[in-house]
Amino acid sequence: MDRFLSIFFQLSLILILAFIALPILVVFAASVSPTATITFDPSQWTLRWFAALTASRWLDPFLLSLKLAAVVTVLSGLLGLLAAYVVAYRKCPGHEAIMALLVSPLAVPQIVKGVAIVLFLSSAGFYALLGTPGLIMAHIVLTLPFVVRMIAGAMYNFDKRLDQAARILGATSFQRIRFILLPIIKPGLFSGMTFAFILSFNNIPLSVFLVRPGETTLPITVINHMEYSLDPVLAAVNVASLAFILAAILLFERIGGFSAQIHGGSK
Amino acid sequence: MSSIETLSALRQPTHLPVRLSRYFPLAPPLIVLMIAFAIPMGMMIGLSFHDADTGILTLDNYVRFFGDDLMLAGLWRTALMSGLVALCVTVMAYPVAYYLARSTSRWRVVVFALAITPELAGVVLRTYGWLVILEDHGAINNLLTWSGLISEPLPLSKNLIGVVIGLTHVVLPFGILSLLTSIQGIDPNLERAAQILGSSRVSIIRHIILPLSVPGIVSSLLIAFTMAASAYATPALLGGAGFKVIATMVYEQVLFYIDWPFAAVMAVILLVMMLTIAFIGARVEARLHRKLHI
Repeated sequence: MDRFLSIFFQLSLILILAFIALPILVVFAASVSPTATITFDPSQWTLRWFAALTASRWLDPFLLSLKLAAVVTVLSGLLGLLAAYVVAYRKCPGHEAIMALLVSPLAVPQIVKGVAIVLFLSSAGFYALLGTPGLIMAHIVLTLPFVVRMIAGAMYNFDKRLDQAARILGATSFQRIRFILLPIIKPGLFSGMTFAFILSFNNIPLSVFLVRPGETTLPITVINHMEYSLDPVLAAVNVASLAFILAAILLFERIGGFSAQIHGGSK
Repeated sequence: MSSIETLSALRQPTHLPVRLSRYFPLAPPLIVLMIAFAIPMGMMIGLSFHDADTGILTLDNYVRFFGDDLMLAGLWRTALMSGLVALCVTVMAYPVAYYLARSTSRWRVVVFALAITPELAGVVLRTYGWLVILEDHGAINNLLTWSGLISEPLPLSKNLIGVVIGLTHVVLPFGILSLLTSIQGIDPNLERAAQILGSSRVSIIRHIILPLSVPGIVSSLLIAFTMAASAYATPALLGGAGFKVIATMVYEQVLFYIDWPFAAVMAVILLVMMLTIAFIGARVEARLHRKLHI
């Protein structure tokens, strides 16, 4: 019985992992297959779909997504720092309630936030803000709670005696923030900003309401094409954007050095 | 200590009330959340209680929603889809989480990476993969037609099956993580003791692991249900016109029918559904924790 159970367990584990890997492998194979029919024969593989990506119909949405994600990451990081400074570092009276307020957008599904923001901009007469400004606003609402949480997590662990020591030695408050607080919370800040970057770059449920013709993000461009055909060039777009995300994570990791924090399990 | 306090007392600006000035850095983030979140949410909820043409305060939009068979069918499809996804995710996540919690094999890292990294790939890539597999002229149907097992393609996309498969794939890592935390919290000595006393593997799972991981099962079901019910992209692409859920219907209402008060009603109903489930879930989880850790 136990023998049978163990085989059954291992078999189901393998099947589940295959289920997880399958669609991703299919996309990789599709992106290098010469025709719409997928082939797993490496001798037939081609990079021609990737060569097609430099066309402006793919490059423009990519650049918009990149700029959007960059702006959102920086703004979320700054706003998150300010909020976390008061809530988690200074621990102002009522800091728990303020923290709850800051993360409250998480309780609202993205699609509902998207509807709210598009109805607000349209019915309050801010049509001009649909498109990039609206996208920035919406993505900040999406990412800020995560960023605040991650920075606050780093600040809660901050040893206040370091700050007191610097104060006794005559450091100004700017110096204390610049040379003590910021370096210590840097991993938290950068893991929050990396998360914000990925969320913004891949976002669909908010962006779908706010894009305009000529101002469309990459994921929305891809799903608009997918509704009509499964052109292999879409597979190449997906693979390229995944590669880009991974490269961005590595870059953030090099600057911020947050992997130690994740593996070490911050408490 | 006293010298520090005197020093800081001297440094405080005297022209401002000390307490208020400490809150100043909060102003930018709170203003942004106010303009981009609180006010739009308030307006949307307000709009849902107003007549589309006259602007008079009314409950008509809600009455219309619950009297509309199309809407109720959408609500039912959303619930059915989310329930099935919650079940599939939890059943599939359990063996993986159990393996990750208990295995000491060197494959553990590989399994963990394989289970979690697809999350980075984003929903579009994975949905594309599933469409290529499940489509009428996709991999599975081509294989089955070629082997002569079927003559007509099986309907695997643009319906419930396709959406459940796609969403299960999207939500699975979250199910694995919530079950993993729960199973890791079970003392492995309990299993060892049962084994020494002669329990079979089956009865250890049946009488120790399963009952003690109930909080993890509940939180996996909940997170999967709420993520599925509020998902947009996967139902839109794998369900399409053949399987509309509330999230995709709201989108149509905003962009094609341009009936804003009614779109607001749909969004508010989706929100209330999510908050109710989250509230009930939190209560159930708190009770289970109290019961298990007395």
